[in-house]
Amino acid sequence: MTEQSTVPTTGANSEFWTGKRKQRLWRAVQTVLILIAAFIMLIPIIWIFLAAFKSHVEVYQLRLFFTPTFENFGTVFEEPYDLGAKLFNSTIVAFVTVVFAIPIATMAAYSFSRFRLKFETTILVVILATQFVPAVVIILPFFIMFRDLGLLDTRIGLIMVNLAIVMPFAIWMIKGFIDGIPMDTEEAAMVDGSSRLQVIRNIVLPMAAPGLVTASIFCFILAWNEFLFALFLTNREATTLPIGLALFRGEEGDLWNLLSAAGIIIMLPMFVLALAIRKYFVQGMTMGAVR
Amino acid sequence: MAEIRLNNLTKRWGDFVGVDDQSLHIKDEEFLVLLGPSGCGKTTTMRMIAGLEDPTAGEIWIGDRMVNDDLPKDRDVAMVFQNYGLYPHMTIFDNIAYPLKVRGTPKADIEPRVKKAAEQVELTEFLHRKPKALSGGQRQRVALARAIVRTPKVFLMDEPLSNLDAKLRVTMRAELKHLSRELQITTVYVTHDQIEAMTLADRVAVMKNGVIQQLGTPDDIYNDPANMFVAGFIGSPAMNLINGSVQSGMFVTTGGTKLVGIGAPDRETAILGVRADDMSVHDAGQGDIDVSIYAFENTGESTLLTVQWGKQRVIARGDRHLRKEQGETVGIKLDPDHLYLFDPDSGDRIRLGGK
Repeated sequence: MTEQSTVPTTGANSEFWTGKRKQRLWRAVQTVLILIAAFIMLIPIIWIFLAAFKSHVEVYQLRLFFTPTFENFGTVFEEPYDLGAKLFNSTIVAFVTVVFAIPIATMAAYSFSRFRLKFETTILVVILATQFVPAVVIILPFFIMFRDLGLLDTRIGLIMVNLAIVMPFAIWMIKGFIDGIPMDTEEAAMVDGSSRLQVIRNIVLPMAAPGLVTASIFCFILAWNEFLFALFLTNREATTLPIGLALFRGEEGDLWNLLSAAGIIIMLPMFVLALAIRKYFVQGMTMGAVR
Repeated sequence: MAEIRLNNLTKRWGDFVGVDDQSLHIKDEEFLVLLGPSGCGKTTTMRMIAGLEDPTAGEIWIGDRMVNDDLPKDRDVAMVFQNYGLYPHMTIFDNIAYPLKVRGTPKADIEPRVKKAAEQVELTEFLHRKPKALSGGQRQRVALARAIVRTPKVFLMDEPLSNLDAKLRVTMRAELKHLSRELQITTVYVTHDQIEAMTLADRVAVMKNGVIQQLGTPDDIYNDPANMFVAGFIGSPAMNLINGSVQSGMFVTTGGTKLVGIGAPDRETAILGVRADDMSVHDAGQGDIDVSIYAFENTGESTLLTVQWGKQRVIARGDRHLRKEQGETVGIKLDPDHLYLFDPDSGDRIRLGGK
C-alpha cells in the first residue's frame, strides 16, 4: 500500500470518506462501543473476582496489583459460615428439581405441541401467567402452608417450590424445540410401525435433545440462584448458597472478601453450564430431516 | 399386497370440505395416481388411507379389512413423504432399518434386508452417513429404501419428487417406474405434476375441490377428458379453450369467424378445446383461419406459436424447423378428429358425433 496517509483536506473530505472506507470506520466504531459496553457490564464481576483473592484489609483499596491469597476460599467452608453444607443443599435442590421438571415438562410440551387441546392457548398463557405474580405477594401463604405441612426448612419443600418456578419456563422452552421437529418425521415413524410412545422415545426425544439439555441447564440455573423462597422457607438445615451469602454481613460490616469468594463459588457452575449451552445451541440437530 | 376400497369417504374441517363423499377402488398391484391442483383433497385422501387423518365419514378397506379404526402402524402401509421425513439423528442404515426394528424383526434378518433395499436404490456406499450429509436426491432414495425394506400391503407416495430439481426429477421418475414394476405392490401416488401422472400411472384420478373429476388410464385422461377441468389440467401446454358458438354445424368464434365443421347441435355458447399438437401451421390462407403471431418460441424439440385469435390467445405447436417472426400472419388448421366441445357454464363435455 503506497497510499499517502496524510490527513485529507476539507475539500477532499467527501471523496475520502466514501464506500469501503466509511464501512470500515463504522465497523471499528462498533467494535469499540461493544468493548466499552462489555467492560462496563463486567466491572462488578472483575471487582468480585479480584476481591476474592484479597485480604480483608486490601478489599477497600482499588488496587489491581496485590499478592493474591486463597485464604478466603478456605474460611468460607469453616464455621460459622460452613458453605459446604449449603453447597450440598443447593446442588441437591437444583439437581432434583431438574430431574423432575424436565420429564414432566417434556410430556406437557409434547401434548401442547402436537395435540389440539381445548383452551390450549388459554392454558399456555395461564401457565406462564403464574410467573407474573411477584413472589413476595405469595410468600406468606406459602410459609403458612409449609409450616402446617411440616415442610419448612426441608430440601423437599424447596424442591417443590423450585419446581413451580421452573416448570412454566421449561414447558415453553421445550415446546419451542418440539415445534421445530417436522411433523413429517413423526408421521413417517408412525407409518413405519411405531406407537405414539415409541415415536416419542425413538424420534422426538433424540431430536429434541439439545432443547432438553438447554432447558435443563436453564432450570438448574433458576433453581440454583433462587433466593427469596429459600430465605423465607429455610433457616438452618436446608439453606442454600444464595442464603449463605447473607451470612457474610456480620457485625463488623460486610465481609467483602469472603462474600466475593462465595460469589465465585456460586458463579463457577453457571459459567461452565453457560459454555455447555452454547455448544448445544450451535448444534443443528434437525438439519437434514427435511429437504 | 392388497386392493384398496374407499367407500363414500368424506373429510370435513368445520365448513371446509377436503374430500367430498368419494368412492374409489384401487386394484391389487395397481399404480394409481391422485392428480390435482393444491387443495384438491388428494393428499388428504392419501393421509386417510395411511391413518394420519381420520375420515369424517365413509369406510377405508385395505385388502379384506376395514382399517378406519386401525392406527397407522397397524395398517401395514409404507409411505414416502414430500419432505422425506427422515430421522436426522440416525445413520442411513438405521433410517432404513427402523421399520424392521420397530416391528420386531429378528436382528439377523435386518442387515441383509437393509442392504438389499439400499442396493435397489443405489445407496450402499452411504449407509454409515447421516441424512444431512446427503443430497436431496439421495435423501429421497433413503425415504424410498425405508419404504421398500418391508413388503407392505400398500405404498403411499406424497409428492415424492417435488423437492428435487428438474433434471433429478426425470431420473428419479424413471427409477420409481422401474422399481414399481419390479415390486408389484399396490401404490397410491399423489402429485400435482401431470407428467408424473401420465408416465407413472396405471390409472389416474384427477381431483378438484375434493371430488374425483375423472378416473381412467393416462390415455383416457389425455385423449378423452371428461370435462373442461381435466382437459385444461392435463397436457403441456394446456389445451386451448376457445370461446364461441355452434351455428348450423360450424363452430363460430366469438369474433364471428366460422372455424370448423363440428358434429354438434346448434348452441349459443360453447367452448372448443383443441391441443397445441392437434393444430398444424400453414402459410396464410391455407388453414382454417388466418391469425397473426403474438410470440414465437423455439423449445428445441418443437416450436410454440402463440397466436392472436380474436380477443384470445391460442398456442399451436409447429415443426422444430419452422421459423416465423412475431407479427407474421399464418394459417392454422385444426385436426377435426381431435376436437372437444364443452358447455361453458357447467364445464361438462359435449360429446361430438357419436364419440
